[in-house]
Amino acid sequence: MSSLAGVKVLDLSRVFSGPWAAQMLADFGADVIKVERPGRGDDVRHQGLRARGEDGREEGETSSFMSMNRGKRSVAIDLSRPAGQALARGLAMRSDILIENFKAGDLARYGLDYTALAALNPRLVYCSISGFGQTGPYRHLPGYDPLFQSMSGLMSITGHADGEPGGGPLRVGYSVGDITAGFYAVSAILAALRHRDAVSGQGQHIDLALLDAQVASISHVAMMYLVSGQQPARLGNVSPITCPWQSFDCADGQIVVAVGNDTQFAAMCDVLELPGLPGDPRYATNPMRARHRLELVPLLERAIARHPVARLRAAFDAAGVPCGPINDFEQVFDDPQIRHREMLLSMPAGAGRTIPQVANPVRFSGTPVEYRRAPPALGEHTDEVLREVLGLDAAELEDLRRDRIIQATPAP
Amino acid sequence: MTAPLHGIRVLDLSRVFSGPFATQMLADLGADVIKVERPGLGDEVRQQGSPLRDAAGRPLAWTSSFLAMNRGKRSITIDLAAPEGQAMVRELARQSDVFIENFKTGDLARHGLDYASLRALNPRLIYCSITGFGQDGPRSRQPGYDLVFQAMSGIMGMTGEADGPPQRVGYSVSDITAAYHAVIGILSALHARQSGLCEGQHIDIALLDCQLAAASHVAMGYLLSGVQPARIGTRSHFMVPYQAFDCADQPLVVMCGNDEQFRRLAAALDLPGLADDPRYAANLQRMRHQDTLVPMLEDALRAHPRAHWLEALDRAGVPCAPIQDFRQAFDDPQVRHRGMVTHLPFAPTGTLPLVANPLRLSETPVEYRRPPPALGEHTEEICAQLLQVPVERLRALREQGIL
Repeated sequence: MSSLAGVKVLDLSRVFSGPWAAQMLADFGADVIKVERPGRGDDVRHQGLRARGEDGREEGETSSFMSMNRGKRSVAIDLSRPAGQALARGLAMRSDILIENFKAGDLARYGLDYTALAALNPRLVYCSISGFGQTGPYRHLPGYDPLFQSMSGLMSITGHADGEPGGGPLRVGYSVGDITAGFYAVSAILAALRHRDAVSGQGQHIDLALLDAQVASISHVAMMYLVSGQQPARLGNVSPITCPWQSFDCADGQIVVAVGNDTQFAAMCDVLELPGLPGDPRYATNPMRARHRLELVPLLERAIARHPVARLRAAFDAAGVPCGPINDFEQVFDDPQIRHREMLLSMPAGAGRTIPQVANPVRFSGTPVEYRRAPPALGEHTDEVLREVLGLDAAELEDLRRDRIIQATPAP
Repeated sequence: MTAPLHGIRVLDLSRVFSGPFATQMLADLGADVIKVERPGLGDEVRQQGSPLRDAAGRPLAWTSSFLAMNRGKRSITIDLAAPEGQAMVRELARQSDVFIENFKTGDLARHGLDYASLRALNPRLIYCSITGFGQDGPRSRQPGYDLVFQAMSGIMGMTGEADGPPQRVGYSVSDITAAYHAVIGILSALHARQSGLCEGQHIDIALLDCQLAAASHVAMGYLLSGVQPARIGTRSHFMVPYQAFDCADQPLVVMCGNDEQFRRLAAALDLPGLADDPRYAANLQRMRHQDTLVPMLEDALRAHPRAHWLEALDRAGVPCAPIQDFRQAFDDPQVRHRGMVTHLPFAPTGTLPLVANPLRLSETPVEYRRPPPALGEHTEEICAQLLQVPVERLRALREQGIL
């Protein structure tokens, strides 16, 4: 039994943060109903790559859709029409949690805003995720991940310094802003659920902004700015506060080394046969090493460049020096530790096909994550959900379908 | 209003980053967090980052990194190597709901503070272990820090310019990502306990697992196609346009999340017909033909300064943003409106600026009840309140260096 068994989630969100949060709740055992617009469905069904079948033709859903929609049932309802809005209200009345990421104010036009739904279901935990939040001068603006990477200061601290070759702000290669907001959404939802169940009996509204979440996530680097008033330099792969903490060129590739304390630094010097360094007062403690980084690092670079990656890694591992290779994804999924932890799994996806999935990393001893459903086809569960939750019969479903309020698609 | 985690006691044996960041979130949500530190130096993070300065500019014994992840906690110093110290921690764990630690796998078993030992005392305890590689597997006993997991998870491999080397994300994203999973795991385990599904349990969080899972749709693109995602600077693997462009003066990030936004962008840039061209009308086509499309957009955007485009594209409803440094970010009208910097009373300097928690709960707003604690600031308070240690004994423990 997973930890959120019995919890019902109505997911009106599209593309990223919201679906990602709802997938986390599904992994933990919640029953997640994903509402999509008939025809096109979630925009993310049209982003990313598709697998190719044996005949070389593309098949199945896109990689982006599949990465954030497992464990859900898809119901296709047209929310722009009153009959569709009534269906969504019916589902919300029977839910514990609602997640939406419409632009601030949009759902009020449909009678699906927090005030309207709390009147029908006071126990509802209603989570709004938007780019800039429900309030403030930018509340009406649309926004996507790179905007929040750039506005939060993240891009200003990622990449090489301006004067260096290839210098300039860089975007993090995955949608870290979306994912970060997704984590905060899940945290807030679970906290609100606990408050409802243990204290108040009432739901509440959560107003989560991607920009806020990304600013908060930068944490100690932002704090360095707040304490010192100095913009942290863009240092490429080098840490401003810990040394050595960077990538190094070996004889045949790169390795990263992250030395967190003085014992590890001594062990590293031992492996590199640099016996004088740990006793040198300039390098004895981390603050001293960070201060004398420009003198220390070249000494380490020269010593490291003599070794091939594999041999150095083995020696550092044996000595307890934190290090790792810079992996591409082939190497990631081939890594013995990743394989041991079963971070790659395979799910049946209908028609005899299986799809790969990256596992949920939270390992519970008592209520393990269960993967019960592959990402759904658009409207795959429309009839099932409306029959089960709202008690509609075949004639009513047929009327709704004919009026194009809903769309039902057979399982693939 | 009572906070969501009111009445939940968290015993925090973790150091440096993931664990402290997770317990700060639990403290923000109202939990009573007791931070156990070693006598003398305390958490290593007290030695990392920029020093806080007093009004005269003199450095104080508080660092930015410690201040960033330790508000809302009480600090008690206990020597875990001493049997009497271990007994005190066991007694605190008996009275706690949640226990967080990030020792190397197996280390706490030597002190009788592993999950099996503590469960025997308190079956309702939720025990969360955060490590680099997890509690099992060939590398489970290796130490590791953020940079190692950025490298091994593949995210450095996909960050950087096309012709440049892999790049690190500029903050400790792997630590933070693991912290979020720890919080989420703990909250859902509390839910399972509350609803009677089980008593306490063990949660095993690995930084490497979490960072890989967070790579999400990019990792999935690889799994479906077998093609390693290229390093592409500020661009996206999945959408066009979606990147930084040079305006006449400064760069601007511009992107279209759907075809309607692209239509509006083409109109705002005065490029009629572009959105009707079958090569560019839909995102998957734009991906395919970006080599011809992007130069046209570059030329158009270069014609005017950034302020012009920010205003014009905002008006057209096309997502765009300046690349801000921290001064600009914290000065941004929206960031200010949302109160993302909060100030707490703080004895050494009068007041302390902190980055706010971004969770906005309508009924149970986050409350900041305590600034980050001095080392051992609450040792006596906790000893008296929870351990009933008499004053003479307290003095003796202090003299022996156990507290």
